[in-house]
Amino acid sequence: MAEFLNNYGFLIVTVVQQALLGMSLYYPLSAGQLSLASPGFYALGGYIAAIIGTAELFAPWRDLLGKAVFPLEWIIAGVASALLSLVIGLPALRLRGIYLALATIAFVQIVRVISLNLSITGGAIGIFGIPQLFESRWGYIWIFGPLLAATLLFTWRLEQGRIGRAFRAIREDELAAEAMGINPTRYKVQAFIIGGTLAGVVGAMSAPFLNTWNARQGTFDASIAYLAYVLIGGTRSLWGALLGAALLATLPEILRPLNDSRLIINGMVLVIVSIYLPQGIVGALARLRGAGKKKGVPAGGKT
Amino acid sequence: MTTAQFLQNLLNGISIGSVYAIFALGYTLVFSILGIINFAHGAVFTLGAYLTYAMAVGQFGINGLLSGLSIPVQLPFPVALLLGCILSGLVSVLIERLAFRPLRNRGGDALLALVSSLGVALVTVNAIQYFVGSEIYSFPPEIYGDIKPAITFSISESVVVIRTVQVIIFGVCMAVLVSLGFLIARTRFGKALRAVAENPATASLLGISVNRFILYTFFLSGFLGGLAGSLVGTSFGVAGPYFGVTYGLQGIAVIVLGGLGSIPGSVLGGIIIGLIEAFVPPDYSAYKEAVSFALLFLILMVRPQGLLGQSQIQKV
Repeated sequence: MAEFLNNYGFLIVTVVQQALLGMSLYYPLSAGQLSLASPGFYALGGYIAAIIGTAELFAPWRDLLGKAVFPLEWIIAGVASALLSLVIGLPALRLRGIYLALATIAFVQIVRVISLNLSITGGAIGIFGIPQLFESRWGYIWIFGPLLAATLLFTWRLEQGRIGRAFRAIREDELAAEAMGINPTRYKVQAFIIGGTLAGVVGAMSAPFLNTWNARQGTFDASIAYLAYVLIGGTRSLWGALLGAALLATLPEILRPLNDSRLIINGMVLVIVSIYLPQGIVGALARLRGAGKKKGVPAGGKT
Repeated sequence: MTTAQFLQNLLNGISIGSVYAIFALGYTLVFSILGIINFAHGAVFTLGAYLTYAMAVGQFGINGLLSGLSIPVQLPFPVALLLGCILSGLVSVLIERLAFRPLRNRGGDALLALVSSLGVALVTVNAIQYFVGSEIYSFPPEIYGDIKPAITFSISESVVVIRTVQVIIFGVCMAVLVSLGFLIARTRFGKALRAVAENPATASLLGISVNRFILYTFFLSGFLGGLAGSLVGTSFGVAGPYFGVTYGLQGIAVIVLGGLGSIPGSVLGGIIIGLIEAFVPPDYSAYKEAVSFALLFLILMVRPQGLLGQSQIQKV
């Protein structure tokens, strides 16, 4: 067991962490909005944790609070991300489709360039030697695991309720939803804030986990990776992000013997899945099960 | 800012802006016909630069599968450039066949076209890295023949330097823009292309083979992408397989600024972004990239249809 965790502990925690980032993109998507902003909030959250963890200014906090400084970092990162999502979301969510995607790509790029140039974020080198919460990498499962469980439960409850129904209504037909008395902008901004806050908290948890934090954490490539998790897993189910992250985050490891060419195969998987599994894995499974049920109905029986 | 500095920035801006313009036109042509942004366009830009380099110089470094390769036959630069662009166009056609058409035939979501084109970009960029590594390759200065590297003149005792490469780039881009304008506005081919962009169903009823014109569009788009990549490569060097990513995103800022799907808009947007970048003060040059994205964000908030685009009325 110890050996197994030694070899695969980091990978398992990474899958959970990436699944959470996929979830952060799932909320706007469940309201029909393609936002690629998550890496921007993820980077922000990570920088907040890294700065509180290393800067001279916050040394008294660290001495006073000990390990309790970590939850404080998560809360600050969450609140800061929520506020920033509100500020960005209010104007940006008037846009639809590809326009919203482009605006959020611009947001991620701006955050990246700014963090590359400020001295507080360590410029191009970034911030390193971030204090650890656990002794081993595997230990981080005790924060990412519960966060994923809580997120899934929260999402499941959300989708059962009024807000989830509003999200679905807007996704299916925004004008019709508006005619039914739903305020689309309000719900779209809500979905955006939930996603942004989650990404910020995950970033704050990830900075100690990865030990260093730099501008490479929040890039356009990351946006695409998270989007790929959700699309490949399935956009219509809360399990999609988890499945997609499990597949795509482990794929490079499985393909490790191929070394340099593994990203080539990763790209091919993206193309093939988008063409042949447009509903994602969850959708394909549901269709298979649906087909199985139909076969079970005897001819002439009541359907 | 002195007059000389102003003039220098203006010339730099127009030169790089004209490259942005032809590169962005590659996005625009595909967008105006399919209504999607081809995220593999940045990868074609990179590939074009490598192809031209391979045929004109042909010396590869120490990394990748083809390390130490030197191609025995070197073509004269204009021929290599033309072939590089044609090959880029063909690769773009291949991308349409492999990543876009199957999705269209299945009636796939437009979001999926975004992902599958990104998948293609990932494959292309990493294939380049796999074969020739991630070193920087520079074109030797003599590829443009025996000319002076720069023209200098002075205004009120300060010197303005125009690199000859910049002048050539500007000239090539203008020639391409004029020919493309003529092709689209004045020929039968252009008329058919515009018909397909306007309404594919009607165009097909009128006897235009829509799929064939989509292929032509991708060819033109890839040709322009490869040309832009090669020209930037001759001016600043081919900076590794990822060097198209930044230009790819920059190109998207250009088309949004000009108006998605608008051909004059892409040209105007390209020149504007080139000029803005050139006029960013040297102290803030690290923020150069952020400026065009800030502009992209701003224009989306204020005027999402861009400078020259037409606003769309949402239909129920």
